[in-house]
Amino acid sequence: MNRKGEFLVENIVFIVLNILYLVILILFLLKQGSGAIILEDAYSKNIALLIDSAKPTMTIHLNLQDLKAVSDKNGIPFSDVLKINGNYAIIKLSEKGGMKYHFFNYINVTAYPDKDPKYEGFYIMTFSKIK
Amino acid sequence: MIKKINTIKGINKKGDKLISVYWFAILVIVAVGIVLMVNTFYGENYDVRSQEAEILAQKVADCIYFGGEFNPLIINPQGGFREDFKDNFLKMCNFNFTIEGSLERPPYYLEVGFFSDGDLKKSSFNILAGNKNWKSDCSVGVSQRANLVTCNEKEFFAVTKSDSVYLIKILSIVGKVDENTN
Repeated sequence: MNRKGEFLVENIVFIVLNILYLVILILFLLKQGSGAIILEDAYSKNIALLIDSAKPTMTIHLNLQDLKAVSDKNGIPFSDVLKINGNYAIIKLSEKGGMKYHFFNYINVTAYPDKDPKYEGFYIMTFSKIK
Repeated sequence: MIKKINTIKGINKKGDKLISVYWFAILVIVAVGIVLMVNTFYGENYDVRSQEAEILAQKVADCIYFGGEFNPLIINPQGGFREDFKDNFLKMCNFNFTIEGSLERPPYYLEVGFFSDGDLKKSSFNILAGNKNWKSDCSVGVSQRANLVTCNEKEFFAVTKSDSVYLIKILSIVGKVDENTN
């Protein structure tokens, strides 16, 4: 009876440790892929490329829901996540963080969060010619 | 018979313990491997310079020749190239290479050559803009190219209204080494 009980406890401990191992590994992988620094780097560069390719009169709806999830967690207002300053696209997802990337297109860019509740987590970018 | 079964169970139990130790050793090795791979993957900087150089070259091409016609600001009515276009090239093609508030040289370089159909070796007209120092890094013999600039070459034929044919070669270079490499 005792042996059976011992056998059961050992197996349960073994299974629990295995599950714990898998959970830690999956959490580690998820955290690596959605880290603020990686997202800031990738999005600032991609948005700069988007601006480089843009032409006056264009309007772009940008899905930044991934960034919103991280900025909400870090207490950064969504309206501060994307800024265009000079010829830089700046992404800020944490208080001390922030990444910027230079673009070469000489164009007026305005970027602001979409107010439509259907498009929460989206930004609107409009482009016009500099006079 | 009962004794025999007990003995086998005893052996199995020892074997199980041994297997579980090896099992956890394997798990640790796998975890270390995954952590190393993930760190290598995410530790690399996200390099977008080849796409940037491609967009730059494409923009230059569109500025010079669009919809089957030369930009009227490049060629004068007599069919010659206009020097003022060359002088104001960045402004006329809507480029801003300067980094505001900094004395840094621009992280871009552009070179456009117009080669007449009759003489493809010597260019009839040249446009240069940006940081000329980057150009030497494009040479094939340079080692560690990934840690230097990214170069993109594009060429196409264009026809003027007077039916003169030109081969246009565009070299676009993007520096930004610090932002895109480790």
